[in-house]
Amino acid sequence: MSQNDDVWLVIPAYNEGQVIADVVEGARKTFPNIVVVDDGSTDDSAQHIATTGAHLVRHPVNLGQGAALQTGLKYALAQPGATYFATFDADGQHQTADVEKMVELLRSGVADVVLGSRFIEQNGQVPWIKRVVLRTAAAVSPTARKLKLTDAHNGLRVLNREAAGRLRITMNGMAHASEIVSFLAGSDLRVAELPVDILYTEYSRAKGQSLINGVNIIFDISLRERGRR
Amino acid sequence: MKYFWIQLVLIVGSLSLALMFIRRWDRANTRAWKRIAFSVFVIVNVYAVLRPTDVTWFAQQLGVGRGTDLVLYVMVLGMGFLTLNTFLRFRSLEKKLTDLARTVAINEGVRSNDERLGPDAAVPASSESLKA
Repeated sequence: MSQNDDVWLVIPAYNEGQVIADVVEGARKTFPNIVVVDDGSTDDSAQHIATTGAHLVRHPVNLGQGAALQTGLKYALAQPGATYFATFDADGQHQTADVEKMVELLRSGVADVVLGSRFIEQNGQVPWIKRVVLRTAAAVSPTARKLKLTDAHNGLRVLNREAAGRLRITMNGMAHASEIVSFLAGSDLRVAELPVDILYTEYSRAKGQSLINGVNIIFDISLRERGRR
Repeated sequence: MKYFWIQLVLIVGSLSLALMFIRRWDRANTRAWKRIAFSVFVIVNVYAVLRPTDVTWFAQQLGVGRGTDLVLYVMVLGMGFLTLNTFLRFRSLEKKLTDLARTVAINEGVRSNDERLGPDAAVPASSESLKA
């Protein structure tokens, strides 16, 4: 049907009923294989997703975005023919054209993982305060520095089968972005970054991460190695 | 040197807190130690209620003025252990909950996606990957 039959989009969704169906149907024009993980939404997200052609996996309780990504990856890994795995936001801020570019890079075999970056090309779309904080986060994070990343917290990533199979997200909450980067830094996987455009709509701004949540992320990360069994 | 003993007690207590934070703390023998500590706590409690002056005497031996102060110091340490223990327990519970919810979600998802999108639309995760 499509040349992208071997690509699976993993979309974690939590209370995105307003936009999820449009985002999924929009993405399905390019990528027929999509699994949406409804992370225990309390709104009608699940019904909206059910009207689309995407696979739906529902967490019985809300676990967090990191957990939803891991669930989606696990589901997608089991599907026949799945070779490339993209993590994609449910609020419509990512664009399939970017995913196509990233998948192309993986297909060429020069990288195992491609991360989206908002900062390689300055597009002026990112609110300046967010830009400062995110760039600082990338600059002070030792793992992000090791990989020479410019943007450690971008939700758009494409992984090949090996990378997706080895990734184990244990941080259920928002700290998974840093966890993924540190996993990549500690592995022998080849990581590349590509510029992506993020659409900061009113909706995604309202739904997006507040900067104060960065405090939670730092806290979670610092406790990550503790109490693990 | 007046405060030497109480300082020793508090520092050792704090260090063992840090150790507990870093090391695994859910093995059977550490669980046994926690239970022993709890039993000692109960016995000391009863004793302190019956003979409060002995607590003051003991506090003075450690360099602390009043028995109340000693009880306060020990309570702070006890709180620390309690908090940490609860935190670690919650973490381990959260991990179990995640694994459980993920397994349920995927099993249920495979079934309902087959119904919704047609048979063979979804393939169950293999038992090996389910364990992951």
